[in-house]
Amino acid sequence: MSKSVLIVEDEPFILEALSFLLEREGFTLSSFSDGEGCIDYIKQVKPDLIILDMMLPNISGMQILENLRNSADFQTLPVLMLTAKGQRRDRQAAENAGASLFMTKPFSNDEIIANVHKLLS
Amino acid sequence: MSRTLIGTRIRERRRAKKKSQSGLAQEVGISASYLNLIEHNRRGIAGKTLLAIAKSLEINPRDLSEGADQGLIDKLKEAIAKNRHIPAEVERLEEFIGRFPGFARLIERLFDLQQQQDQNLQALSDKMNSDPFFAEAIHLMLSNITTIRSTADILQKNPHIDESLHNKFLSNLLKESERLSQTASGILEHFEQTNSNQDKLADQTTLDTYLESNQYHLEILETGAASPNEIIEELEIETEEQKNALSILEGYQTMAKTLPLQKFLQKAEQFKFAPLELAAYFKTDLRSIFYRLAHLPERANLPNWGFLECDGSGAVLYRKQLTTLSLPRFGSACPLWPIYRSFSQPMQPICALLDMPTGERFLTYAVAQFNDFGSIGVPGTLKASMIITQDYDQLIAKTALASLPQLAVGLQCSVCPKQNCSARRATYILG
Repeated sequence: MSKSVLIVEDEPFILEALSFLLEREGFTLSSFSDGEGCIDYIKQVKPDLIILDMMLPNISGMQILENLRNSADFQTLPVLMLTAKGQRRDRQAAENAGASLFMTKPFSNDEIIANVHKLLS
Repeated sequence: MSRTLIGTRIRERRRAKKKSQSGLAQEVGISASYLNLIEHNRRGIAGKTLLAIAKSLEINPRDLSEGADQGLIDKLKEAIAKNRHIPAEVERLEEFIGRFPGFARLIERLFDLQQQQDQNLQALSDKMNSDPFFAEAIHLMLSNITTIRSTADILQKNPHIDESLHNKFLSNLLKESERLSQTASGILEHFEQTNSNQDKLADQTTLDTYLESNQYHLEILETGAASPNEIIEELEIETEEQKNALSILEGYQTMAKTLPLQKFLQKAEQFKFAPLELAAYFKTDLRSIFYRLAHLPERANLPNWGFLECDGSGAVLYRKQLTTLSLPRFGSACPLWPIYRSFSQPMQPICALLDMPTGERFLTYAVAQFNDFGSIGVPGTLKASMIITQDYDQLIAKTALASLPQLAVGLQCSVCPKQNCSARRATYILG
């Protein structure tokens, strides 16, 4: 059975590109374009991996991550954080909040696919 | 001046006066071979011999001994040190100055200009780094570029994808390119607008740069090693800015005296940097505590606080930025910030967690205090101040944090993507 990946990204064209790439790799995909409703969905569906944009409308990626990590069921769920802010402090904050991996935009397609495989292996 | 330069100057002056070495030696009563040693900087010279040579060469002895100041030598040495890739003959520097004083001054001047321009560039760079519009625009451009890079890569590596998908990606590329152009135009427009404020910005740069380069902690004012006026003189702050600069530095000096650093630090750590407890202990107002907290030395174990102060019109009076949060200079921040709300409830402190659209969270305290109490029929004026930190983990227990109000706020309307915001007063121009 294929692994499931949830993408939470508010930039629609990035979402489309990521969806194409991950579907081509054989993953089962779902997506949200903002943070609202996303936490309930995750808790219900329990995807194998989440690609989570840090800057989202309404609820930020960091808040979603913190919420998940506060739940015993999602302590080890692989979460790949995406952000256009690549300062060391942002990276540190994401790591402290429990991000499994942190990638800055613009990323390469090959790199993000490799990281998804790495986190799921 | 180094003695070696005196010899060179004597030789140059003697040649200019068309005197022979032996003739001059005879006039001043020394041997030609000794004068030769002096001129080649192998013997020192002072006292009677120097006076005699100066008299014979019709030159003020001071021009021989002090003509080229040590500052020029040091400046050229600095220029050489900063341009190591050019193999300058540093061992012949004094000879060079002696022989070609005009060229030496020219190099000094060019080096000064280069340094000044470097500083201007640094100041401009600092301004750009602390500009919330620019930060947001760059963020958006990186997102645009991500789409373009990723989509172009897909199209290039997948020439046989379904035609409708192919067309969709091409359309995405076009739209994202247009957005990128729009963002770039927005940046250009922003900087054109900023140029109209350039003089004001430039005037404020000297003290701002000084404060920023010292991380807003002035040890010399803390210890009393210098006065505000001495700092202004040292910084060569322009006359029209001196009053404001003096007011800021005197404010710092007063704080250092009334809330001495060591005692304050000891108590701050004891009270976990809680402003209300500190104000009660030191029997002072909250604004003073905010200001003190924002001017602590930068150490790993101390929270880093930003500070913003404004008057009732929202005009920013003073600010200390955080590297992770740009605070406005010209009073156009998010109206949802507690500092503005505090005006509606003077003297009542506000404590809240701020959630930025960028996903960052900050702890903040704000209070509006009376600047004066007015008079009968004339209301008092208010000033509001706010401190803000991202280091809240080390200050407040997680359980206590959960009970704090959480406010979703922005930076400036024009760069805030927050939708359906009742406080919006300008269109989001980067969307």
